[in-house]
Amino acid sequence: MVIKMDIVFSDEVKKAIEGKGLKVDDIKKVIEGAEASNDKITNGSKFIAKKVLGDVTVYADYSVGGSITVNSGYAHKMKLQDIVMDTADSEWTYVKNGKKIRKGHTNLSFMGATRSAPSLVDPASGESWLEEYLAAKTIAVAEMLFSQKRA
Amino acid sequence: MEKIGETSALCPVCLKTIKATKVAENDKVYIVKECPEHGKWKVQIWSGSEHYKYLYEFAAVQKPPQKFAVKEMKDCPQDCGLCNEHKQQTCLNVVEVTNLCNMNCPICFATANGCGYKYHPSLDEIKKMFQTVVDNVKSPRVVQLSGGEPTIRDDLPEIIKMAKDMGIEHIEVNTNALRISEDMEYLKALADAGMDSFYFQFDGIDDNIYLQTRGRPMFDVKKKAIENCGIVGVGVTLVVTVSPNINLDHVGKIIEFAGLNVPTVKGVHFQPITYFGRYPIEPTDKDRVTLPDLANAIEKQTMGMLKADNFLPTSCSNVHCDMKSLSIVMEDGSLFPLTTMALGPPVKTDDIADKTRTEVSKFWRFIEETMDGPSGSEDKTWRSFISRAKTHYLTVSAMAFQDVWTGEVERWERCCIHMVTPDGKLIPFCLFNCTAADGRTIYRRKAFCGN
Ligand code: SF4
Ligand code: SF4
Ligand SMILES: [Zn+2]
Repeated sequence: MVIKMDIVFSDEVKKAIEGKGLKVDDIKKVIEGAEASNDKITNGSKFIAKKVLGDVTVYADYSVGGSITVNSGYAHKMKLQDIVMDTADSEWTYVKNGKKIRKGHTNLSFMGATRSAPSLVDPASGESWLEEYLAAKTIAVAEMLFSQKRA
Repeated sequence: MEKIGETSALCPVCLKTIKATKVAENDKVYIVKECPEHGKWKVQIWSGSEHYKYLYEFAAVQKPPQKFAVKEMKDCPQDCGLCNEHKQQTCLNVVEVTNLCNMNCPICFATANGCGYKYHPSLDEIKKMFQTVVDNVKSPRVVQLSGGEPTIRDDLPEIIKMAKDMGIEHIEVNTNALRISEDMEYLKALADAGMDSFYFQFDGIDDNIYLQTRGRPMFDVKKKAIENCGIVGVGVTLVVTVSPNINLDHVGKIIEFAGLNVPTVKGVHFQPITYFGRYPIEPTDKDRVTLPDLANAIEKQTMGMLKADNFLPTSCSNVHCDMKSLSIVMEDGSLFPLTTMALGPPVKTDDIADKTRTEVSKFWRFIEETMDGPSGSEDKTWRSFISRAKTHYLTVSAMAFQDVWTGEVERWERCCIHMVTPDGKLIPFCLFNCTAADGRTIYRRKAFCGN
């Protein structure tokens, strides 16, 4: 049984999410989906969950107490593909299967090009997650460069 | 025959201002003009009439200069200086520091060898021209030192330092590369003085071409000079005069060469040949290359790696004056173009002169700021793609200078590339160099030798 908790966004977090061109409602969708399916990773103090909405993979970074507090939301347009390698244990655990998440590299493809980027991976399920610093920086710039190409 | 527009132009014989119309015929655009005394001319200026018309949508909301030397213009382009009617402020200031040269090229239009007078301004006279730039042009100010051959001056480092001290932010030096291929100390002195880059004459990667254009083999000299620039860390733009009879079929190879020489080589700038100087026989359309012809040749010769569609007008001067592309050069030497006509006309085109001046640098600064994550030298990652983008990029651009046959007021009055004259004027670069069919100049001789 799923207990529906309130999802709380501070004004600051809300502004940051909207500033990235994301909708607060989409972040809610990601969290609701993750809470219902346990498809999320945790480091003991908070969770990261992702969901593909249209062409975009949207991430929610949130904490659960009396209610759900959203720490951040971010997204990338690149599609996560296969895991290229995993190198070391991370502080994260995949709630869905209880496995330890590893640090690794995952292929990301966008507009016909595939290159890798550092990621959090679960080799057992083949799932990968991008951390925010990467999605918001390197990957965002690469997406911008590629979108300029468009042709 | 469809009429596209009306403008004014010059009579190639008497240099008077005459009425001109632009017409489309068989998918080509022509300028048609008639002098009551000297006859009628019809000269091709573009290939693809729909494309010609569509480009007007890329035109910028222009910013007239804040200051002008000629208060009451009666007859453009005869009262140039700039005048109160000029429509675009300056992006690039060209300052000629000599008309002497250490070569004697058959196609040169600027040197003393061909024009019969010497022009070699003193430091004070050069200072005055820099002052004209500082007084008339908003920051960031870009000056190209030109000639003749600027590097014949041993005091060039001093000149560069003077410009920087006066508040000119960016200095490029136009050169045939001869001296910098052999005089490392001089090159270092230029770099130390604050020179930013070279505007580097480059006609091809084949000495047969240099024999025709420069009268001697030059390819080894060019390679050596590029190598030297790499050592001192000075960027180079290869400037290619394109002639249908000489090197139009080499543009692909030139781009390939440029790609292999990034990051020292920053760009290739093509200049379709213009006819300045004395021409007893009028050049025909077959002796010319329009910008679309050039873009198509590039697409064909690069096997579609760089397409005609990757070129956009900078929208800074006139949309029919120039075109530009920006690509990342990938690990295998191939180009990854970032610009395309598919982006459509710019939404906000006002203040475009400012934009072109800072836009590209802003773009790369943005990339730089996003590069502060943990570093990695891994190949085939998105990170290495971005770091490559930062250093291994290539602009391929072109400007179609106008001569007395192709020139029109519609373009001159929007020009943003200005020659600085010793008497404090700014004159559209290609207008300044225009000559009548018999070699008489409209501005150059008057400005530099006083008669
Ligand atoms: S080109 Fe410009 S400055 Fe020169 S006369 Fe024409 S409008 Fe005036
Ligand atoms: S120099 Fe000539 S071709 Fe270049 S922008 Fe000015 S008018 Fe146009
Ligand atoms: Zn005439």
